[in-house]
Amino acid sequence: MSLAEPATLPVATSAAPRLDVPKRLVARFKASLPAYLLLLPSLVFLALFTYGAMGRVLIDALYQRATPKAPVRFVGLDNIAAVLADPAFTGAVVNNLIYAVGTAIPSIGLALLFALTLSRTHAVSSALRAALFLPVLIPMVAASALFMFIFLPNVGLLDYYIGRLLPVLPNWLGDPDIALYAIMIITIWKNAGYYMLFFLAGLQAVPEDVMEAAHLDGAGPYQRLRNIILPELKPTFLFVIVIAILNAVTQVDHVFVMTQGGPSNSTNLVLFYIYQQAVEHYDVGKASAATLLTLAALMGLTALSFRTMANREGGP
Amino acid sequence: MLFSRRLMFGLAMASSLAATLAGALAVPAMAEGPTEIDLFFPVPVDGKLARDMGTLIKEFNDGHPDIKATAVYTGSYDDTLIKTRAAIKAGKPPSAVIMSANFLLDMQIENELTNLDALIKADGTTKEQFLGQFFPALQGNAVINRSVYGVPFHNSTPLLYINADKAKEVGLDPSKPPQTWAELTDWAKKLTKREGDKVTQWGIAIPCAYDYCGWMMETLTMSNGGRYYNEEFGGEVYYDTPSMLGALTWWNDLVYKHKVHAPGATPGPAVSTSFISGNAAMMMLSTGSLTYVRDNAKFNYKVAFIPRNVRNAVPIGGASLIIPAGLEAGKQKAAWTLIKWMTSPEKSAWWSRATGYFAPNMAAYKTPEMVDFLNKNPDAKTAVEQLDVAKPWFATYKTVPVRKNLEDEVMLVLNGKKQPKEALVAAQKAADETLKPYNADTSLKLP
Repeated sequence: MSLAEPATLPVATSAAPRLDVPKRLVARFKASLPAYLLLLPSLVFLALFTYGAMGRVLIDALYQRATPKAPVRFVGLDNIAAVLADPAFTGAVVNNLIYAVGTAIPSIGLALLFALTLSRTHAVSSALRAALFLPVLIPMVAASALFMFIFLPNVGLLDYYIGRLLPVLPNWLGDPDIALYAIMIITIWKNAGYYMLFFLAGLQAVPEDVMEAAHLDGAGPYQRLRNIILPELKPTFLFVIVIAILNAVTQVDHVFVMTQGGPSNSTNLVLFYIYQQAVEHYDVGKASAATLLTLAALMGLTALSFRTMANREGGP
Repeated sequence: MLFSRRLMFGLAMASSLAATLAGALAVPAMAEGPTEIDLFFPVPVDGKLARDMGTLIKEFNDGHPDIKATAVYTGSYDDTLIKTRAAIKAGKPPSAVIMSANFLLDMQIENELTNLDALIKADGTTKEQFLGQFFPALQGNAVINRSVYGVPFHNSTPLLYINADKAKEVGLDPSKPPQTWAELTDWAKKLTKREGDKVTQWGIAIPCAYDYCGWMMETLTMSNGGRYYNEEFGGEVYYDTPSMLGALTWWNDLVYKHKVHAPGATPGPAVSTSFISGNAAMMMLSTGSLTYVRDNAKFNYKVAFIPRNVRNAVPIGGASLIIPAGLEAGKQKAAWTLIKWMTSPEKSAWWSRATGYFAPNMAAYKTPEMVDFLNKNPDAKTAVEQLDVAKPWFATYKTVPVRKNLEDEVMLVLNGKKQPKEALVAAQKAADETLKPYNADTSLKLP
């Protein structure tokens, strides 16, 4: 009477050939009905809030929003063309690429370093793990508010300590050359601890006996890392990279709180651009077009990553 | 038997879900009692404004048993506009909103505001009498096409804040604050302290972050004899003009020529923190921050008029109370009761004392508490005195994006990335592009 039971039922009914086709279908349907009913609430919400919304975006992208005196009108692909021609959008895409690469590599690197250092459990390592994981628990908005004070020009914590060493105090969030990197610091700080969890789990899966054998064969720490641990961690790597890239596109809380995309669009990311078009410019058509482009890029990227994973390991 | 039990289980789940949904939908229809209204309120400046709002609304509810008002905090002025619009779109508009005074035109153009003329008339008074309670300078942002769309609630003007102790240290007399840009530059030079190339104390700080930056540009441009936008028509801004160029050039000079203003764009809270900590000796900031400065400054300070280059002039800031379009009559009436109560002389005076904003209702300054308060805190008078030279706050079609068109460029200038002239040309071009649909709809068919 377990919940997994209905999944095996079709096999059972196909082993009863005496029933004719409609009856068999009815029986199958009857058998799996509870399962569908149990799935129904999730399906309803998924349809309403995910697929329904996506469908709506697809339609909205084809129309130009009504101005106070002109009605909504069909414009086809004009919105997509307008988005691609908008320097604010292309700027946001470039920013997002810098942001994605610039946060993914350091946070994954740090996460691996943390995990390797703290993979053995003893009192100190669990305390350190907890400490490194703590930033993950702090909501992004709270963390951003905190960092706003750390980054305050002249009087902030960072300038207070580092300012003594530098000839000129950087205006961390007010300088278009620096602001994006300042924001990336928070992301790296927050994500490293999160990715560490995956690597810790991955390290648990490295077989003890292989490591022991390598040790007896005289393999040094570097050789063990290079030839055993890293290859064993490959699926974890791929998974974490996908998560990191998705995070880079979906996390914008800090942009909201700290810079609103400024100064001069230097911290504008794709998702924030979409938000700006939709609510500040009140231009749903353009926002939908930008959403479609982003969605397409992300789906392509995710599909590619999953294929790579599947090819390498025969399944994630 | 087994299957039917499972079926029953599934059906039971589905029906309980349906019952819950139906229940949730049925409840509001049965509700009777006080009219429930929401008031959206922003907190754009420093201080304990959110707590004061709670006190105010509780007092209103205690005195009006037939209305139950709830104050909903909605972030900055910009966020409040966004949240209000989202609520209107979702078909659940809040009953009243404390809305940045310069968003009213944009909302009126989008048909999102209730015209208050009928409500005023139903009270047996005229528009002239109703508006007559408020300082004349505030009416520019509340009246659109001769109809009333907003009731001034808390308003501000920019002020010059001076650290009087530091001024005395360098032989300046804080009782005779700088009146012109030249004098201000001079003061700022004297008040800047350096150790080698490093500045340990800045002469002046002027905020530039989204929202504040546009307001400061309007302030400086007005003092330079110019204006920011066309007060009669929502489709024109004057970014690429000699008066604005002069204003931005002066700001740029403070940073890069005289080196008395920190480079980069600085948000308002960073400016006030800088002033409070003694890192900046003067600042230009809203009178809305006055209570915060009064409560936190551990030194003598002085507030003064914004110095002029050509003329004394400042823009109005702050917010008005509005009623969004699309409300049912009962809620509209309750919201109107709340608005009239909040803008009455007593409440408006209380709010002014609590926040530092000035009270838009002129009679507020005749209440005994306010007379007493002003005697004890003469610094609160400056903003009111400045009202004689105050002008409306910039308001255009799509105010926020049009303002950002300018702010993005000003930020580049303050960061040394662009010269004022090229920045303003770019800002004008971007703003014209943003305003194009409105111009095409109204007067012009632009190429």
